[in-house]
Amino acid sequence: MQPILKIDLTTQTSSEYLIPLEWEQSYLGGASLAARLLYQDLRSDLDPLSPAAPLLFLVGPLTGTAGPTVGRFVVCGKSPATGLWAESNCGGFWGPELRFTGYDGLWITGKAEKPVYLWLQDGRLEFRDAANLWGLDTYQSQETIKKELGQPGVHVMTIGPAGENGVLFAGLFCDHGRTAGRTGLGAVAGSKNLKALAVRGHKKDLPLARPDLYAPKRSEANHAVKADNFGDVLHALGTSGVADYADYLGTMPKKYYHLATMEDVDRVSGSTMAETILKGVSTCHACVVACGRVVALGDGVRRKGPEYETVVGFGPNLLNNDLGAIVRLGELCDRYGMDTISTSNTIGLAYHLFERGILTEGDIGFALVWGNPEGAEKLIHLIARREGIGDSLANGSRRFGADFGAEEEAVQVNGLEVPYHDPRGVSGMALVYATSPRGACHNKSDYFFVDWGQVAPGLGIGLFDKQASAEKSANVALHQDWRCVGDSLVMCLLSNVPPETTLELINAACGLDWSIEDMMRSGERGWNLKRAINNRLGLTRGNDHLPKTLLEPFPDGPGAGFVPDFEAMLAAYYSARGWDTLTGRPMRAKLLSLGLKDVAEEFWG
Amino acid sequence: MASTFPSPEWVQEFGQKLNSDPHYAQIAKNWEGDLSFTIEPSGPVKETIYYYFDLWHGTCRKAEVLKDLNIKPAFVLTAPYENFARVLKGDLDPMTAMLTRKLAVQGNMAVMMRSIPIVLDFVRCAREITTEILT
Repeated sequence: MQPILKIDLTTQTSSEYLIPLEWEQSYLGGASLAARLLYQDLRSDLDPLSPAAPLLFLVGPLTGTAGPTVGRFVVCGKSPATGLWAESNCGGFWGPELRFTGYDGLWITGKAEKPVYLWLQDGRLEFRDAANLWGLDTYQSQETIKKELGQPGVHVMTIGPAGENGVLFAGLFCDHGRTAGRTGLGAVAGSKNLKALAVRGHKKDLPLARPDLYAPKRSEANHAVKADNFGDVLHALGTSGVADYADYLGTMPKKYYHLATMEDVDRVSGSTMAETILKGVSTCHACVVACGRVVALGDGVRRKGPEYETVVGFGPNLLNNDLGAIVRLGELCDRYGMDTISTSNTIGLAYHLFERGILTEGDIGFALVWGNPEGAEKLIHLIARREGIGDSLANGSRRFGADFGAEEEAVQVNGLEVPYHDPRGVSGMALVYATSPRGACHNKSDYFFVDWGQVAPGLGIGLFDKQASAEKSANVALHQDWRCVGDSLVMCLLSNVPPETTLELINAACGLDWSIEDMMRSGERGWNLKRAINNRLGLTRGNDHLPKTLLEPFPDGPGAGFVPDFEAMLAAYYSARGWDTLTGRPMRAKLLSLGLKDVAEEFWG
Repeated sequence: MASTFPSPEWVQEFGQKLNSDPHYAQIAKNWEGDLSFTIEPSGPVKETIYYYFDLWHGTCRKAEVLKDLNIKPAFVLTAPYENFARVLKGDLDPMTAMLTRKLAVQGNMAVMMRSIPIVLDFVRCAREITTEILT
């Protein structure tokens, strides 16, 4: 891989860091490599909003090569929302453009005295005054910087007012509305007075160990993605194309995870979007799918169309079936620079507490009525500005709930809000949410697709009943390892590239001769290293839990009466993982088998 | 009645099943659109086979074998014969087939994603009338 540029915002200096070859070959890149690089720095006494906290942007070995859905990067650090490992990846064009500058990562620490943005043009870094950008929303910030730099091809990653104001679910945004949304790393950037990072590079000869082998495999992989039914669905309908089926299976929660059915829910699906307001599609670098939506609401403005999580979060989650309102709420979050999952989930909790009388009009200043999105819009403004009730909401659902004596009502795991794939419809998501390294997350394993039928026999990932119990735990662990490989490559998890093809791409790009087992061991290594980081940050077996709402059955829908047999599933998962049931740490033998000798010695002597 | 897949008799019996199955009639009551199978050569099948079904409001208005696919049905399901056979035998879950490149779907994806329950029930009916599979 290419060097990483280490940047100290306090001293406004930079230096090149060469990634040890052994780590490149063990972790490939992306999130797993970031975990290895940050392992020592992520201490329990590190304040994630302090100057010492790192913000590490990394690409993968395939980024920028026009490989299958790999125009992505990841940003990692310590989450201010969870106090645990933070990781969020993002599409668009920024990641490939960073690679074209000659660097495969930016490792940022320190705090600028005044707001700055970074301008990295090929090998040259500038620290530029961002006083005029502070307060601009993410769309305005991107456009202003591009105008200021005055050259074509610049891609800008930026925070919005939410990141500036320390909203704990603020994200980083690029290429209009592409988002590294989860775990609050926008707040980390804001704490450093870092408004944005602009990149432009011209290097086209990216490191590929066996380019002659890589080129045909890349073509084969892109054809496979294009020929996939699911790729067709994503292209035609976007990610919310799955909404109808998710609703049918009872995996789409409504009314803040308290109902499984809702009248007219089909009015907000990707199918309806395609038939009503869709005007075009948008894409990430060299992606053959193009799942991004461009919509119009009749006011002459072309807008980003919402993806599945935003549709459900501001739709059925609030019993709202107004697709136009969902589009506007999603855009508002994007402009302020906030993750739509955490925002909509926390707002859903506010509606829920209001209905129960725990939260009152006196607390908020207005009423919250299920099905009426106006309250949500007002709350978004308050959250981003940390005004009134928004100051509490801006800390996420766990702390907001605690502020009102109702922490147990918050549907979150370890401080990260649960996305909209309910384990009472597909039980595998119970383990996914409870054991994800960044709190409740559907991207570290989109196991709901496995429960729907997207198996991978070559990896041993098979099909179990949607409501199966402990018998599917090892299958979940395998799928997590597989997705961890994808996170190392920073490959879009929606692409469904066949594992055998992925292996050939890795070998050709990195000069390896791995087998499927080697590739999966790399994923398992990354998963366990992130686990070890979290253990060092204080995570134990007690953190592997589900919020109480997800362990209460839905009163309606196809899964009515069912709850996952969580404790049995978790016990089997620990056994499959080789983790210690007392401490929640990977056992010595497991760590040694994965080449994590330093971690084994630290944990077990 | 014995019904071997693939055969013209199987197509006819499948059409009759769709017209007599109350669950299918209910779940597909809003379905409007024709559908074809393109069964590609594999195993004992040496030439491509085309089956056509005109499906309308929970009934099957026409079920026939085509010589070629010179019409444009609303949906075309394409797979090698062996994958169709595995689905009909119950060895391959139809959603798995669609999500793992075992069976290609062409048509309006908005309609298809709204209609997966109908498609799954369509497969149930096909399985129920299949007593023998060519090997």
